[in-house]
Amino acid sequence: MIQHLPILAIMTYFLGAFLTTLLGHNSKSVRWFLVMLASVASFVMMCLLIKPIFLDGGIIGYWMGGRAPEAGYAIGIGLEVDALSLFFGLLVTFTVLLSAVYSIKYISRDDAQDKYYTLFLMLAGGVLGLVLSGDLFNIFIMVEIMTFAAVALTAYRNWAEGSLESAFKYLAVGSIGSSMILAGTIMVYSQVHTLNLAQISALLAGQGLTNTTVFAFALLFIGFGVKAFIVPFHPIAADAYMTAPASISMVFSGMVNKAGVYGMIRLVYVVFQIMDVKSVNYLIVLLGTITMFIGVTSALNQHDFKRLLAFHSISQIGYVITAIGLATSLGIAGGLYHAMNHTLFKGLLFLCAGAVFYSAGTTDLDRLGGLAKRMPQTAAIFLVGAAAISGIPPFNGFASKWVIYQACYEAAAAASGFASIFYAVVTIVGLLVSVMTLASFVKVSQSVFFGQLPDEFDEVKEAPLLMRIPMWIMAACCLLAGLLPGPLSRFALQPAAAATLNIKGYIDTMMGGGYAASQMGDVTPVAELDFSTIGYWQPVAWLVLFVIIMAAVLIVALGSQGARGNKRSTELEKVDGKYATFFGGEHSTYSMVGGSDLFWGLRYNLRHYFGFLSDMHSGVVNDYALWAVTAAAGIILYMFLFL
Amino acid sequence: MILTNYVCSILLIALGLYCVVCKRNVFKIVIGMGVIDYGVNLLIVSIGFNPGGSAPIFTARELSHDMFFVDPVPQALTLTSIVIGACVTAMAMAIVIKLKQKYGTLDTEKIRRIHG
Amino acid sequence: MDILMKALYLLIFPGLLYCSVAGLLLAGIDRKVVARMQKRIGPPLLQPAYDFFKLLGKETIVPAAAARRTFLAAPVIGLVSLVVTAVLVPVFGFSAFGGVADVVVILYLLTIPAVAIIMGGAASGSPYAGVGISREMVTMMAYELPLVIVLLAVGKAAGDGGVTFSLSKIVEYQQANGPLITHWTMWPAALAMLLVIPAEIGSHPFDVAEAETEICEGALVEYSGAPLALFKLSSAIKLYIMTALFSCLFLSGWGTGIVAVDALILVAVCAVIMLICVSLVRAVCARLKVEILFRFYWRVVAVLAAISLILAWLVG
Repeated sequence: MIQHLPILAIMTYFLGAFLTTLLGHNSKSVRWFLVMLASVASFVMMCLLIKPIFLDGGIIGYWMGGRAPEAGYAIGIGLEVDALSLFFGLLVTFTVLLSAVYSIKYISRDDAQDKYYTLFLMLAGGVLGLVLSGDLFNIFIMVEIMTFAAVALTAYRNWAEGSLESAFKYLAVGSIGSSMILAGTIMVYSQVHTLNLAQISALLAGQGLTNTTVFAFALLFIGFGVKAFIVPFHPIAADAYMTAPASISMVFSGMVNKAGVYGMIRLVYVVFQIMDVKSVNYLIVLLGTITMFIGVTSALNQHDFKRLLAFHSISQIGYVITAIGLATSLGIAGGLYHAMNHTLFKGLLFLCAGAVFYSAGTTDLDRLGGLAKRMPQTAAIFLVGAAAISGIPPFNGFASKWVIYQACYEAAAAASGFASIFYAVVTIVGLLVSVMTLASFVKVSQSVFFGQLPDEFDEVKEAPLLMRIPMWIMAACCLLAGLLPGPLSRFALQPAAAATLNIKGYIDTMMGGGYAASQMGDVTPVAELDFSTIGYWQPVAWLVLFVIIMAAVLIVALGSQGARGNKRSTELEKVDGKYATFFGGEHSTYSMVGGSDLFWGLRYNLRHYFGFLSDMHSGVVNDYALWAVTAAAGIILYMFLFL
Repeated sequence: MILTNYVCSILLIALGLYCVVCKRNVFKIVIGMGVIDYGVNLLIVSIGFNPGGSAPIFTARELSHDMFFVDPVPQALTLTSIVIGACVTAMAMAIVIKLKQKYGTLDTEKIRRIHG
Repeated sequence: MDILMKALYLLIFPGLLYCSVAGLLLAGIDRKVVARMQKRIGPPLLQPAYDFFKLLGKETIVPAAAARRTFLAAPVIGLVSLVVTAVLVPVFGFSAFGGVADVVVILYLLTIPAVAIIMGGAASGSPYAGVGISREMVTMMAYELPLVIVLLAVGKAAGDGGVTFSLSKIVEYQQANGPLITHWTMWPAALAMLLVIPAEIGSHPFDVAEAETEICEGALVEYSGAPLALFKLSSAIKLYIMTALFSCLFLSGWGTGIVAVDALILVAVCAVIMLICVSLVRAVCARLKVEILFRFYWRVVAVLAAISLILAWLVG
């Protein structure tokens, strides 16, 4: 039974998509029932896999139609679920579940909802299929399904400003990436005449690197880079995240770009086993660092809530890529940890943006303000998310970023010469990016939730309960993931990180015992993962202490103030000048600093750089394609020069 | 002979990329995306080609060791990829029609309300 | 027992009580010395403490435009995070939470008070606070880069070939090899750190965020009563923490071993550092513009720190 669960989980989504089109056309309740059933069922199936895979350390191999390998050649299409796949599978199903709950209310005002849910479930199935697949061509197909559904969902609200153009840009640049993946797949096929990941991995390790293999690797790497939206493939992501409905933006940042990250990890660690080559490490770390820096500085420049979040999403993926590129156990664990945390806090923030959009009808930072008075819960949740993404203890972003800094700096200490300085600079950039992230979230909270409430938003109401539930769940997860890094790492992160290095087990599960040894000659032993240096379990004691004290003080402060506040009616506040804000004598109704002017000092000093960023995101699809093609050419050239 | 195929496929891909990067008309970009697809498909078929091989159509009983045919897997892949390509083109066309309705133009220089 | 001990640490010795007393004392010394430099008599040494208790007794007014809870919670959050930071900074050989005293944690905890001020200011709904938090934000980004580089440089120099993120390791290294200030490679970093301190605590000439004469104390403009008292206490504690951090990074490694005596010595050392980098500078400089401040930190101070980092890599 247990080995059927992965394919069932994938098919549940696709079947749900099919049935939603078929039956959900007229009836709201049928539609909701189908969507909830599909997302809950898939999530439960993934959870059932936790025990055999995470806890018992097993790997599940599954041949579609029972077509096992014959004469040492994989002829069927395989699914293979190891801890790494399951880790991402859990993220996917969790995100889908919460997003489905959120969607019920969030898109209730739109028409053609059955199409929304169909595409939504197709997207979910595509991503889940990608992370659970053990077949390179199948991965391509799933990437295409994913891109197709994602583009359609980006254009879903085609009345909204810019959604069509961003969908088109996504499609144009995304299809370049897909073509790269397809071309890379066939290059690999020309070398090893199989499409099964496990067999490819075994045969490639036996063959060593040929020119074709290097070319194939470069193409696949670029393809997944486009899907993970690393710089300079990122402008499409910024547009798509901004214009898609918030529930879809959450899915994009929670799992669609994770699919690219997963593809990259699978590619470099398992299929090509190329991470012992230093030049590949440098390339990945460099790309990751550039991604996080450009992402965050572009975010400082934005004046739309969701577009700002989109750039942060790009920036956080940069952290993940950097950590994974370090190729140390600490780095992999930190990268996976941060990938998970990113799903949590970024999903949370996108949902907050969605709640603001739902209630106030805009996400323009220059127009919004003072919503904390009207939407206190959303504001509180947003603060949790902002603290988490800026890495403020005790939330989850802090723990994972800490591991990543440690990994970077240890890599710097272990390396010598130029490399050590490079990694040290990476650490500094990482810390700086964190501060800038904090800064830009201060900007958001100032211009959306605090400050003065413009008159047009006086009647704004709190988001409905069905939208707040997923938000609260995510906020709780943010806190839990920050407070319990120990169990998390023992039961999920370490198995997943170990899976990236357990290549022999991965191959033998699919191809039969001893296959790896026969093809690869000396089998790379399962590298010992040294987790002793992971320091993040240490602070838990005092982090808990910190929380307790903070909570106690807060309760005291709020309690006493609340009691006094009750006696004072809000009417009195309006009449009595004592409670008016200080304007220095001149009366002014609305004179807040606009969101985009909040970093004037910074922007003035770095105006040339910000001008360059502005030009870079020109909005012309040709420019984005040019960036992508140029970067692709550069990466291919680099691979040929240094591999 | 097979070299011609490879050269042609690379040329097609390059032409397609040129189209996507340089053409300011949205339609031409969609065509460019299609051309890239065709290039990749040609590449796939060419990789599966064995000079002198016959078509891989047989039943299990006819299969013997002296038979020589072209690799069937890439052909199957090509079919799948063509189908996907058609879907993507259809989707792109739908978006282009909507774009024309909303923006009143097909010029990419003018379809840039989101930028910065 | 363990919990009791930790509570003791947090509330009494390196925590709330000790650092409040030390901070208020330092603030008093600062005001007195600056006054003497400007040929004024100046307030009594305990004036900051008097101010604190006076403010506690005043009425707390929450503006009608403010987001009430955030407005009131902000000073508490700032204070708590500062107290936790104070516990993590070793007093010469003594550190309350040994292995945890991590540089990255301190770095993050140090940003929280600034964020608390920003949040409080934002929540007050005042336009002056808007300008104030904008400046506070830019100031924070300005000094954070050099601070990060300084901490990494020290971590490298004290890492014995590797790199350490632990303050206790840095202290141990200095116990074995003498204070880091005696290593010539660390001089630029020490200078950079001295320049970071006044910006971190927001004193003249880097007080663009408060700038009483232009924007009426910026983010604090709407605060009164107890919350304002907490903010004032926070800034005094910050004075202590930053100077103590400097002494821990560059001047540590000696001490008598008797904690009470060490604590007193530390306050004295802090006072000296403060006189050099805060009072002296404050008395003679005029306030900078925010863009000049930013440029100064990224072009001069960060480069100073980076020189130290590179030297530490080359020499060590």
